[in-house]
Amino acid sequence: MNNKLIFEKSSPGRKTGYFPDSGISLAQAQELLGKDYVRRDLPLPSLGELEVVRHYTNLSRMNFSVDSNFYPLGSCTMKYNPKINEALSSLEGFTNIHPYQNEDGVQGALEIIYNLEEMLREITGMRRFSFQASSGAQGEFTGMLMIKKYHETSGNKKTKVIVPDSSHGTNPATASMCGYETVVVKSTRDGLIDLDELKKVVDGHTAGIMLTNPNTIGLFEENILEVGRLIHEQGGLLYYDGANFNALLGVTKTSLMGFDVVHLNLHKTFSTPHGCGGPGAGAVGVTEKLVDFLPAPVVEKKDGTFYLNHKIKNSIGRVRGFYGNFTVLVRAYAYLLRLGREGILRVSQNAVLNASYIREKLKDYYELASTLPCMHEVVFSCEKQAQKGARVMDIAKRLIDYGIHPPTIYFPLIVKEALMVEPTETESKATIDYFIEAMLEINKEIDANPDSVRNAPHSTCIKRPDEVKAARQPDLRYRY
Amino acid sequence: MPYILNTEADIKEMLKAIGLNSLDELFRRLPGQIRLKEPLKIAAGLSEYQVKSAVAALAAKNTPVDGFNSFLGAGCYDHYIPAALPSIISRSEFVTAYTPYQAEASQGSLQAIYEYQSYICLLTGMDVANASMFDGASSMAEAALMALRITGRDKIVVSGSIHPEFRQTLKTYLSGFDFTIKNVGFDEHGFVDTGSLNEAIDGRSACFIAQSPNFFGLIEDAAKIGRMIKEKGAIFIMVANPLSLAILNDPASLGVDIFCGDGQPLGGALNFGGPAFGILATRNEYLRQLPGRIVGKTTDRQGKEAYCLTMQAREQHIRREKATSNICSNQSLNAIGAAVYLSLMGKEGLTGAALRSLEMARYLHECLKNVGKVKIKFSSRFFNEFVWEIEGAKKIVKKLYKKRIIAGFLLGEFYPKLKNCILSCCTEKKSKGDIDNFIETLKNVIC
Repeated sequence: MNNKLIFEKSSPGRKTGYFPDSGISLAQAQELLGKDYVRRDLPLPSLGELEVVRHYTNLSRMNFSVDSNFYPLGSCTMKYNPKINEALSSLEGFTNIHPYQNEDGVQGALEIIYNLEEMLREITGMRRFSFQASSGAQGEFTGMLMIKKYHETSGNKKTKVIVPDSSHGTNPATASMCGYETVVVKSTRDGLIDLDELKKVVDGHTAGIMLTNPNTIGLFEENILEVGRLIHEQGGLLYYDGANFNALLGVTKTSLMGFDVVHLNLHKTFSTPHGCGGPGAGAVGVTEKLVDFLPAPVVEKKDGTFYLNHKIKNSIGRVRGFYGNFTVLVRAYAYLLRLGREGILRVSQNAVLNASYIREKLKDYYELASTLPCMHEVVFSCEKQAQKGARVMDIAKRLIDYGIHPPTIYFPLIVKEALMVEPTETESKATIDYFIEAMLEINKEIDANPDSVRNAPHSTCIKRPDEVKAARQPDLRYRY
Repeated sequence: MPYILNTEADIKEMLKAIGLNSLDELFRRLPGQIRLKEPLKIAAGLSEYQVKSAVAALAAKNTPVDGFNSFLGAGCYDHYIPAALPSIISRSEFVTAYTPYQAEASQGSLQAIYEYQSYICLLTGMDVANASMFDGASSMAEAALMALRITGRDKIVVSGSIHPEFRQTLKTYLSGFDFTIKNVGFDEHGFVDTGSLNEAIDGRSACFIAQSPNFFGLIEDAAKIGRMIKEKGAIFIMVANPLSLAILNDPASLGVDIFCGDGQPLGGALNFGGPAFGILATRNEYLRQLPGRIVGKTTDRQGKEAYCLTMQAREQHIRREKATSNICSNQSLNAIGAAVYLSLMGKEGLTGAALRSLEMARYLHECLKNVGKVKIKFSSRFFNEFVWEIEGAKKIVKKLYKKRIIAGFLLGEFYPKLKNCILSCCTEKKSKGDIDNFIETLKNVIC
């Protein structure tokens, strides 16, 4: 495949002509604006449309994607992204509306935000939602700033945030961005929060705890109510990182588990696509006591008319411009309409079923990270395989040759040679059996010929990249 | 059941393999008191056809900007999007892929992002760009955090003619710390008040942040500002509409250390304000402080050119609480869209779009000048938008709206002193006919 850079395909003089020519030249622009302000040269390529279309079409074919491959990437919930959601979110009535146009021209958009909020309130039991955050991490930032402002407004001096040693990296990073010290609490051998360890670190300075539940080992934190009691007793709050909420849809609510703030990754649980890493959306929900701290604006309804309410008493302010990744919300809304109440429950049931089935079929070959039953994802430790000469990285790369995107590896950090598999509910038993078969084959191969696994993948357009060279001699851009 | 492939028979077989009798038992470790006893109070699921009708009906309740003669910009611009752009960018190999952590299975997105980074560097003159931020506002906030880390100082000086929502976002991003934010106002021409800037910027100042073209559309004397800031050893952060850089001086040549902006004008739809993406670029010396993902070019085990995510030691999944930022997901698909847009437009197309925007805005400016009661507020050194003033602006804008003209953005909402001021914008989609129609209608409305 020809993977020259687009810049290397340029022929000066090519012009695509998408709109009428300008009546003024660059020289005239210099006269109008002053020559000190106008640039002399613009170093961009000149291409034809077919070249551009072919270039990017060919690039796209070098990708694995949910539409072409099983993608059991743990903690990322790579479920199927329904096509109807794409079609609806690209309607002109959604894509060609301006954030500052009169509210009477965007009633449909506001209604979607309003209705989506109502559904998420019911699903989580939270009192209100903000849709400004563009990702899970920005949702965390939004939620933790609300917690901070809540404490400040109540006059409480809080300095630290607790995270389990199994937490996502975004949790401690978020706590730091809010000016908190991060305190790490250890997990038990089973992979759950160690209550005794937790008791040692919780005190009056604890602003809160950030948790995923199920945690990153795929286990339900069954002492969640006790954790909540310990934190709340000291005036701290519970933050729910919704990355793993796919396991619990319709089974429980975050409010019942005792959480005060939650973020939901709409690009995980609510089926909006990942787009090579974004755009996503982090819907942030809060209980009654935090409603006054939400970012402004929120959507309200009065006499059948929807409007943006910018007046929130103790708002933390905004975390980005305008109202968030709106067309992502359209997709999540269409998804929930389609599922309905019984479909919502079927999601978590089948997500947990598929993961549990993989756990059962592989547990005699790959060591389990925990003896406890898993929820929507299962974590193995490939230490045994590593001792035989094939590390988890090698196993992951070998899966690519089977047309399977590697699971998450080396995470959570507390599991050695971790392999985290999240099949999601949208995969068929046949696909999952194929994955299991591939894992068993690779295990056999490690015994017979570990080199073949170590040198994988064999079928891709490139072999393993030299990441050390990439970091030591950074080449981050094309230069003419 | 929609989107679930397991049949009843599959479910039975799988449960049996696990040694369970029901789906319910999968949740046996949940304490009973937190289990839902009743179904959620959400309507029953709809067929795809019903969903389509319901959501399309909501879309139909909106009035797209194309149904108006619109001069609304103010940070979100209605440019022409070539048909080839959505066609490429809706390819499911891009749409349904994850972050390219696994390079061998992601060369397509990696190369496309590398090209995006390159395009940003070529446009801005900066050395390095990351793979995108959420939007312009959060990008500017992260730029300020970079400056605080780089200098070890504790004060941010910011121009009052930066988009107000960008400044609000900055305030939120800094709210966890005891940093000081100092606003510098604008002079009677709408430019940064350099006298106040000189007073505000001192040895404690980490940076000065300016926007050019600023929120009023005006092209600042950024080179002069840059020199003033450098004298105080502070970082110069500039925000700009990236399309303006097709014809305006590149920020690097103006002494800018960190460039940020919203990428929406590079082929992004209005989308009610999102998703678009944030641009963040800097000089080589600050690379280690640049947050977010970065793609690098390297070689594979056989010496073949390859791309991969790099410099990950800055990021949250490695550095956790010591990371440069908590950012994980970004706006990759939109950034790739910008690379496709810039490729389709090319040097001539992009310059053409910028020049035609300028030409139309100048024509509107000329026409408005000749309308009685209208006063041009600031300098005429603007790019694609400018501010004009008229008594009773709010009412006039309302009357024009009834005649399907969106005159622009009423500045009073953010600047009480500019309550009769309107920020009007032209893109290359505007024609002289559109502008003549606006002027005629305005004249009728005034008298």
